[in-house]
Amino acid sequence: MPDTFPTIAANPYAWPFDGQWNAADTALLLLGFHESTVRNVGAQSELAVAMGLADLAHSLGIAVVVSQRAAEALVSDLALYRSKAVQHRGDNAFFGTQLEADLRQRGTHNLLIAGLPTDGLVHATQRTANDMGFECLLVSDASKATSPARHTAQLRMTTFGNGLFGAVADSAAIHAALAPQGNLHHA
Amino acid sequence: MSDFWPEIAPARRSAMALLIIDMQVDFCAPGGWVDQLGEDVSNTRAMIAPIQRVLAAARAAGITVIHTREGHKPDLSDLPANKQWRTRVHGLGIGDMGAAGRILVRGEPGWQIVPELAPIEGELIIDKPGKSSFYATDLEEQLQARGIDRLVIVGVTSDCCVQSTFRDGFERGLECVVLEDCTAAVETANHAAAMDILKAYGGRWGGVSNTAGFTAMLEHADA
Repeated sequence: MPDTFPTIAANPYAWPFDGQWNAADTALLLLGFHESTVRNVGAQSELAVAMGLADLAHSLGIAVVVSQRAAEALVSDLALYRSKAVQHRGDNAFFGTQLEADLRQRGTHNLLIAGLPTDGLVHATQRTANDMGFECLLVSDASKATSPARHTAQLRMTTFGNGLFGAVADSAAIHAALAPQGNLHHA
Repeated sequence: MSDFWPEIAPARRSAMALLIIDMQVDFCAPGGWVDQLGEDVSNTRAMIAPIQRVLAAARAAGITVIHTREGHKPDLSDLPANKQWRTRVHGLGIGDMGAAGRILVRGEPGWQIVPELAPIEGELIIDKPGKSSFYATDLEEQLQARGIDRLVIVGVTSDCCVQSTFRDGFERGLECVVLEDCTAAVETANHAAAMDILKAYGGRWGGVSNTAGFTAMLEHADA
């Protein structure tokens, strides 16, 4: 069996469902961190959390995939990933893009998802990822909606029925699972 | 009613379809899957009567009617492993034998559309393995072939398949309107939140109307 990271304490189940995830089969999707969106929804702290995850993922060899809507400028924090950003037209990073093909070619099954807004680009993209069979974890404190109620509601819909669209965890749970002292063990 | 469609433009009946999502025994009838999970089907079941009314209006007006059914092939080759696992842990897995046959498997009794809303000759049926009616189906091609670019969306559930289909219709450049009194979720709170999300900012991905708006719009639409 390949090495796997420990599962993440998530709602409604320990993620991923099959307990198997490693740097090769996982990607971190950072969706919609445009300068204008961060400003409009007031997401500076969520951006900081997302960057902490990006740094951690990058250091462990987990792919960091950034999406960018045409005509929007990404925040400068993401300069490291900008050259390979997935360019999309609307509210769904899979529609009319190579994202699915790129993930499949890389052997990705597991997606950590963070972005803005939760009720817009994030959920549109996560819904499609889920239909495609990707095992999705939405990072609650690295995402923000156009209102707190809408953020809470999309998370409820995600976890309804034992994970209609995947699972939800906060960034601390991910950092805990990937803590240096025990981040690889043999399954 | 010129304000039914979000972009006010002449709307011909030939360019519209009524899309009825997943009104299947497994989702909205006693003895179906959701009922066997111990969830309350009264919200979804309550949509049968209002959808009967809009279906009758659509048939009378001669607009295209499309029914969707969520379901998987009997060999489950189109069922993602995580979807099966999640439903099994929830209590009864997709593909497993239940009181109305194998859960959400094509051809089984529970997978059928409820008899009150049964499709009639000439109506299109879309079998979908996912939440979105556009994922791994030929819905987009069927609409293009008929010159349809406007969808009136009803059915279940508002937070799941209805919302996914509405968002995906928008991505494809279709004018979509959900009828608020013809869609529901298992949980009332999730339904209310779904409607708030779809209505926010004047409707980011399309419109939200109701049966009265739909029938009034049909009366004024050209053939």
